[in-house]
Amino acid sequence: MTKLRTTNLTKRFMGLVAVNNMSFSMDEGEILGIIGPNGAGKTTFINLISGIIMPTEGRIEYKGQDITWMPAHERARIGIARTYQLIHPLENLTLIENVMVGSIFARGHSLKEARRRAENLCGELGLTGLERDTNRLTILEIKKMEIARALANEPEVLFLDEVMAGLNSDETKELIAIVQKIAMEKNLAVGVVEHVMGVIRELTHRVIVLEAGELIAEGKYEEVSRNPRVIEAYLGGGAA
Amino acid sequence: MNRTLMRMFLILIAVVAVALPAFAGDYPLQVARNIMLYMALAISWDMLLRSGQISFGIAGLFGIGAYAAILGVVRAGMPAWLSIPFAGVFAALVAFLIGFFILRLRAMYFSIVTLALGEIFRIIVHNLHDFTGGPEGVVMQQGVMFGGNADKLYWLVLAGLSVAIGASYWFEKSRIHFALTAIRNNEISAKSSGVDIFRWLLLAFVVTSAIQGMLGGIFVMSYGFAAPDVVFSADFTLLPLAMALLGGIYSTRGPIFGAILLGLVAEWLKLKIPYGHLVVYGIMIIIVILFMPQGLKNLFKPAAKRTEGRSA
Amino acid sequence: MRSSLRRHTLNIQAVKMTIKQRKAFILVGGIAIAVVLVLWKPTVLIYGLQAAGLYAAVAIPMGLVLGIVHIVNLSHGEFMMLASYATYTVCRALGVDPLVALIPTALVTALFGWVVFQLTIKRALKAPELNQLILTFGLAIAFSQIINLIFTSQTYKLSLEYSSMSLDIGDLSFGVWSFVFVAVAVIYAVGLQIFLTKTRTGKAALAVGQNPKGAAIVGIDVYRTYGLVFGLSIGLVGAMGALFLTKSAIFPGVGSPFTMKSFSLVAMAGIGNIPGILGASVLLGLAENFLRSFRGTRDWAEIVYFVLIIAVILSRSLKGEKS
Repeated sequence: MTKLRTTNLTKRFMGLVAVNNMSFSMDEGEILGIIGPNGAGKTTFINLISGIIMPTEGRIEYKGQDITWMPAHERARIGIARTYQLIHPLENLTLIENVMVGSIFARGHSLKEARRRAENLCGELGLTGLERDTNRLTILEIKKMEIARALANEPEVLFLDEVMAGLNSDETKELIAIVQKIAMEKNLAVGVVEHVMGVIRELTHRVIVLEAGELIAEGKYEEVSRNPRVIEAYLGGGAA
Repeated sequence: MNRTLMRMFLILIAVVAVALPAFAGDYPLQVARNIMLYMALAISWDMLLRSGQISFGIAGLFGIGAYAAILGVVRAGMPAWLSIPFAGVFAALVAFLIGFFILRLRAMYFSIVTLALGEIFRIIVHNLHDFTGGPEGVVMQQGVMFGGNADKLYWLVLAGLSVAIGASYWFEKSRIHFALTAIRNNEISAKSSGVDIFRWLLLAFVVTSAIQGMLGGIFVMSYGFAAPDVVFSADFTLLPLAMALLGGIYSTRGPIFGAILLGLVAEWLKLKIPYGHLVVYGIMIIIVILFMPQGLKNLFKPAAKRTEGRSA
Repeated sequence: MRSSLRRHTLNIQAVKMTIKQRKAFILVGGIAIAVVLVLWKPTVLIYGLQAAGLYAAVAIPMGLVLGIVHIVNLSHGEFMMLASYATYTVCRALGVDPLVALIPTALVTALFGWVVFQLTIKRALKAPELNQLILTFGLAIAFSQIINLIFTSQTYKLSLEYSSMSLDIGDLSFGVWSFVFVAVAVIYAVGLQIFLTKTRTGKAALAVGQNPKGAAIVGIDVYRTYGLVFGLSIGLVGAMGALFLTKSAIFPGVGSPFTMKSFSLVAMAGIGNIPGILGASVLLGLAENFLRSFRGTRDWAEIVYFVLIIAVILSRSLKGEKS
């Protein structure tokens, strides 16, 4: 079942076209890789879908509903969640409290229930020491907290924006396993933006490639990584 | 300090506060009333600050509440006790209207608009002199509330302070704490987690303005008189701000502590330096903001906790 | 990648056309209003323009600081007030005219501003915006209260012959000295434009304003630039303080309305748009004097700047912009 669909989605900033005529869809249960060179518009694309910015043209549909102009906080409530590339935790809240926010406001749970669910989520992600301040966390813990924060929305569609960046190979393996498990258990439609091709190859069912804001290729990782257009876009690098 | 000890200490303070008129003379009671008034204003300012919005308009909302109360009594025959909650409601409505339009653009635009509020309301009251009594103000013919009984006036302010403390505590213990802190720390993250930023900011602004308006009503009922220059005085913005900063922002305890400290200093200063004693507050604000933005409250916490919360 | 750049750029020509149309519309509208005023209420036009000059000359330095250092200086008006008092003291003590004291006052005020920046504002630049607002608020209070302490709240005025200079045209008689404010405003606007686009320091300042990190990478000392720009802004305001004294009475609170009005004008013009401040000031000056010319609305003139800034904020929030 198609969870998310965009049609001719375009975003222009004062003379720069960041996203150009993007049409794509995501089904429940699929893990979609989103790759492309730097500046290709991947984060802008996610910002458009999560509602942080509004499009110049085009349509976004979620479970058949037109959400093109819906404010970000409402999209969080209907089941869209995403992580941020540059993670700025809420520094005056503890780790567990950071995770609770989505539970309280996107899902409307009581504080007690939100805490219980947040504790469960943290457990699934392997986070401990939940009362700690966020300035005492390791980079892996921060990434996990960010994923937990997004999952607290109890979303049906989740975007992970370069969440593996800066992790060593063991940590990356751990996170890949966690993401796979959670995606399967909760039947999520997941969009994964990554530069590390190994992650894309292992984690994703399907891949879309962006260049200069446009969709230039689509398909399984093996096909896409051999596509000459894709290779040219990366200037010879990337396809691991 | 463990929790039961803390609780007992607080109960003791509350008992002393209520019983104060029994053993204090008129002048100490007057000083206490002033301190409590400013303390309540400081707490209400802090409550909005927790959302990341700075209001420089306490005097505006305070004054507009004062006028709502006294005009309610003098023009509409409202009983004095009713005029106080009325003042709060009126100020809340004004805040709702302003906030509805201004809170969509935040940070400096909101703060600067609030800076103008006191002046603007003062001018409006000044100009509508047929209705408001103009620059000379308006006097309650029936006299001061409670006939000027010092004890009862003291308890009136204490009641107002209790409302402020209660509201602040509510803000700290409910989901409002999560909303305001999330908004203050990272609006984009807050939005992505489902926080309707505008709605929570409006709520905080309306509630804190209601408290400020109510306190204006209490003030004016205690003196039976209102004039634009008195109730819209910048003192009502400046002192609470300095008190909250000094005592420690983002808490209920901080403004309480700051108010007691600065309130006593204020009384002493007023006697020593008739003109310009407020310079102390200006300098104090500068020093606190530059060197200890967390205020004094953290001096009493163990060193480890002092690094908590990087933003001031 | 080159082809994608072409695909990225928009039709700039189309964008330019609508800006031209808007400018033409405003020009025609402005001329129409001027004609109406000359025929109906000429004093509104005259005093409105003079007030516009005063407001613009004070607001332009705030625009400079806001555009480059990115702070709102809530003590902006108080610096002007301090300069006025300094000029008054010097003029009284040495028996000189404020115009003679103008340049020295401006220089001393600039230096004072620079020192204040180094001691206080510089430290708050890395802190959240909240701290900067409260800091400059504290400075405003400190300055006005120190003056209150020294001089009390009494007003002071210099009576100078030339400031009551007037011109008679038909039955119309009006003061002309205040046109000097218009001259200063234009000098400031043009001078700053030249400074920012033609001089090395100015261009560096512009770069810092647009992209401090980028500017630092190319070797520009960002904090030194901030200090310079702030000092310059305060110097310009200081000059206005001296000039202000020639026409008006001063008291400790005389600066604070200028802070608010300057901010309104800068907000109306748009941050970084210094010539726009001239236009916005004309609007404010004319509106205020228009209201003053009718007995019924005279008392409401002081609210105009507030109405204007609310209108600006409303129109921006409706467009969906954020601060």
